[in-house]
Amino acid sequence: MEQQAEDPPGAASSDPGGAGGPPQVAGAREARSEDHMALLFRLRAQTKQQLLEYKSMIDANEEKTPEQIIQEKQIEAKVEDLQNEIEEVKIALEMKSLALSRMQLSAALKNDLEKINTGNSVLMDTMKEVLKLNKSVMKLQQESWELEEKLLDVRKKRFQLKQASESKLLEIQTEKKKQKEELASMENSDKIKTMKQSLQREIQIATVIQHVFQNLILGSKVNWAADPALKETVLELEKDLTMT
Amino acid sequence: MSVLRPLDKLPGLNMATILLVGVEDALLQQLADSMLKEDCASEMRVHLAKSLPLPSNVNRPRIDLVVFVINLHSKYSLQNVEKSLCHLDAGFFLGKVCFLATGAGQDSHCSIHRNTVRKLAHTYRSPLLFCDLEVDGFRASMAQRLVRMLQICAGHVPGVSALNLLSLLRSPESPPLEEL
Repeated sequence: MEQQAEDPPGAASSDPGGAGGPPQVAGAREARSEDHMALLFRLRAQTKQQLLEYKSMIDANEEKTPEQIIQEKQIEAKVEDLQNEIEEVKIALEMKSLALSRMQLSAALKNDLEKINTGNSVLMDTMKEVLKLNKSVMKLQQESWELEEKLLDVRKKRFQLKQASESKLLEIQTEKKKQKEELASMENSDKIKTMKQSLQREIQIATVIQHVFQNLILGSKVNWAADPALKETVLELEKDLTMT
Repeated sequence: MSVLRPLDKLPGLNMATILLVGVEDALLQQLADSMLKEDCASEMRVHLAKSLPLPSNVNRPRIDLVVFVINLHSKYSLQNVEKSLCHLDAGFFLGKVCFLATGAGQDSHCSIHRNTVRKLAHTYRSPLLFCDLEVDGFRASMAQRLVRMLQICAGHVPGVSALNLLSLLRSPESPPLEEL
């Protein structure tokens, strides 16, 4: 679906329509004719430009497109080359027209140099204005260049910091991994196993000795609860050694 | 399937036509209103469409500039635009097509990344403009820009053609560095 919206022509002169006295009508008619002229000039420029566009399209369509299928990358490279060519031609044209206008300006100045009153002419004012603006432009360009340099430095530093932190984190990771591996290997090594086995054996022997002493004291039918030292000994013997 | 061609009709005298293609009717309407408020020396016509192809039974003037409005918040608008791009003649992409991405201001709502749209614009070699169409000020300045572009594409500015403008608006080829 589609919708349309229109805008009334802005520059087309509007009819004053039955305006007042003769001078007003004459003045309005002059303004109208001037507007008409301006409109006509504008339309002429427009039509010229549009004609130029159509002509260039016709010229472009006359170029034969290559028959074989070219890779997309090559097409892109070609397109970029063509765009660069266009840029170069545009720049050359700009340079030439700039040089030309400069020559025209200097020729005109040379011709009128004698007539110019260097005291208070518009030309001197314009030139002073131009100099002032040039100075401020250069100053601002310098400032912006410095700011860009600072920005670049900050970015570089940030990048370096990022890289440093990346390497640090990598180190931390590798260290942790090493530790884990060592721990795992240690737990599975043989030394630990034999050590554990001997530990178990010693614990068992000590438990047996504990029980023997306990039974000795109990079997002798001594009142071990009365004597604090003996009570302590018996309770110590009750302690489970495997809990260490 | 009717394909829209850039130069198949004669231009109307002092007339410039822009076609806004996008899914969000409200945004398009607002943009169209802002554009119509702008000062334009020639007669400006704004056409709105949800997608291409356009119905062929309507008698419309030559279209000078096509603007594809992509809302970064909805993937559907991107898909819609991609589907519509097939119905444009290749001649349009010589400066008469422009992509407009809206909604980049609210990063949390964006479901399309900016680089997706950038790649799309780069593939079609067309300028990409970012604008938050909801904000009045941005919309007004974008309308001004579009009116100026439309005048150039319609051939109303002597000495500047659509292709000329395209090479002026060319963005740097390398993808922009993400903030380091």
